[in-house]
Amino acid sequence: LSQLTHLRIVDPRLLPEVWRVEDLASQEAVLPTGQASLDAQLPGGGWPVGSMVELLQERCGPHVWQLLLPGLAQAIRKQAGPVVLVNAPFEPFGPSLAAQGLPGERLLCVKADKPAARLWAAEQVLRCADVAAVLAWLPQAKSAELRRLHMAAQQHDRLLFVFRGLNARHDASPARLRLLLEGVDQLELHILKRRGPPLESPLALPACSARVAALLEARKRRMTATPSDATAIALHRRSHVLDRTAALT
Amino acid sequence: MYWIALLPSHEDERTAWGWRALQFTPRVAQVDEALLLEVSASLRLWGGRKRLLRRLLAECEPLAGAQWAQGATSFTALGLLRLKLRGEAAPARLPQDLPLEVLSAACEHVAILERTGCRTWGELRALPRAGVARRFGAGLLDALDGAYGERPERYPWLHLPEEFDLKFELASLATTAPELMWSAQRLLMHLQVWLQARHRGVLALELEWTLDLRRLNGVRLPSHERLVVRTAQPTQDIAHLRRLVGEHLSRSTLSAPANHLRLRSLETLPWGGADKSLLPEDNVKGERLHQLVERLSVRLGESNVLVPVAQADHRPERMQHWKIARLAHPSPLPKHAGPTAVDALYPPWLLPQPLPLEVKCEKPQYYGPLRLLAGPQRLETGWWDDGAQGPASRDYFIARSDEAGLLWVYRERLAARSGDEREAAPVRWFLQGIYA
Repeated sequence: LSQLTHLRIVDPRLLPEVWRVEDLASQEAVLPTGQASLDAQLPGGGWPVGSMVELLQERCGPHVWQLLLPGLAQAIRKQAGPVVLVNAPFEPFGPSLAAQGLPGERLLCVKADKPAARLWAAEQVLRCADVAAVLAWLPQAKSAELRRLHMAAQQHDRLLFVFRGLNARHDASPARLRLLLEGVDQLELHILKRRGPPLESPLALPACSARVAALLEARKRRMTATPSDATAIALHRRSHVLDRTAALT
Repeated sequence: MYWIALLPSHEDERTAWGWRALQFTPRVAQVDEALLLEVSASLRLWGGRKRLLRRLLAECEPLAGAQWAQGATSFTALGLLRLKLRGEAAPARLPQDLPLEVLSAACEHVAILERTGCRTWGELRALPRAGVARRFGAGLLDALDGAYGERPERYPWLHLPEEFDLKFELASLATTAPELMWSAQRLLMHLQVWLQARHRGVLALELEWTLDLRRLNGVRLPSHERLVVRTAQPTQDIAHLRRLVGEHLSRSTLSAPANHLRLRSLETLPWGGADKSLLPEDNVKGERLHQLVERLSVRLGESNVLVPVAQADHRPERMQHWKIARLAHPSPLPKHAGPTAVDALYPPWLLPQPLPLEVKCEKPQYYGPLRLLAGPQRLETGWWDDGAQGPASRDYFIARSDEAGLLWVYRERLAARSGDEREAAPVRWFLQGIYA
């Protein structure tokens, strides 16, 4: 009984012998995501380089660039070579991406109809020495095939993002980081899997770029402004030549 | 004089070994089964016999190794090589103790000479010259003089061809294109040796197979079929060419079984050598970008591997043009100063074709009714264009859909159409971009 009195509860963080999963993750190479609130939640403080990042979405397309562009812009500054899109759902629009740090000439689009060809293309791209990052849309990929991609990314230290549908949510996956993207006005990011404790509540991130958000905000203010303000704005706008012709017709 | 006799371990690599030997000396000849090299003139260049032999024999990738022997004359070297192949040790005194079987000119007379008790070169030389010449012909004496270094040795020396052109007979008839791959690999290996000897890198090569049949099912066939393989940068790296040829062959078909395969170099450039660096960041493993693009283009089709090229136009669908990545050369940065402030307001995703939207109650629909948040941004351009699209006169809006988020839609302006249609035709809305 006298020994038991010596026992006390110690915070494991204070013990130097105790390793935590986050510490293990912090030893790997990461690329900051460009969004502080996301960096704080990701183990190591950014996108893991040399490991697959899986992103689950109901529909292909939305939120992709808003989430990845700041990181990709850094990646192409650090490393030569293009960002390769395998089987992108739409065409990336160069002028817009260039304004946000990813010039069009640093893009390479690979289209493949058959799922096997997509996987092959993605793997070949990962094995190339001159590629900065790979974004692959692989809705039909199986876990074993993704493991192959994960291994290729690991061997060659590539940044790899794989997009899949929501139905893959309950399947096993080799990815170290699995994210689920949803939301319309705001990007709600669920971290399904990471090295460390799971994240209970989704992370809220802006759904559109700062400039678009500012434009929409300005419009909203103008709509709700007092009538005198509104006429002033209207008069100001009338002064534009194109607007005047439009008004005449 | 310093002669080296070489016997390649694979018979079909003789030509390649000959080209390889030409890097070390211009005096290379094919004699009987072996290659003979006279290297005394270039010994100093290569740093002595030992170093030359090491470079010649040890670092012989991609060829398989070769048996070799050395001697003061070509006959001695060749005789020693033959002894070595028979597994016998070299005699103490050279060349007089060499057996007569290893001298090509004496081979046919060995039986008679043995009966006279003459077994070695020295014993044959001791016989009276006039009698030997009468009995066995002057050729034997000439060879013997050459072997003792008393006559200059002349051979038809090998030349390195200006263009690579080599034809192999296939071991068996090939009925499908991938079956040609094995022979193509051997040809490519020869090509590599030729490129190394010529100090050139290959840009384009042509595979040509000879068809075994003149006609098939009543249709006249051409005698040859060809396949041209190109690469963007001159290379001596056969691994890339092999994969490229493999991809091409797996996609092509033979119209009839083939019996010969021929490889020609179409375009070569002087080769500056591969850049090597000690810095770790320069030594990234993996293939280069142009190699990746070439292989992807072959397997997936050229129109499926694309890069965007910016163009000066105000119509969003014309602002960039998709170019085939294999033909697009990495250009210096475009002249204009970079993105303007307006560009940041464009959506990052663009639809390949504007999508016509359904209109209900004067509201465009896309996964439910759209609410227009910002706009109009007026675009009136393309009046000079008589193409399929004609002039573009549009009002762009940023719209919000409850399901799909922010969208970039446009309304075709009525003023663009003729006056009669104006009342009848409904307003047409299109979806062109998605904010993501």
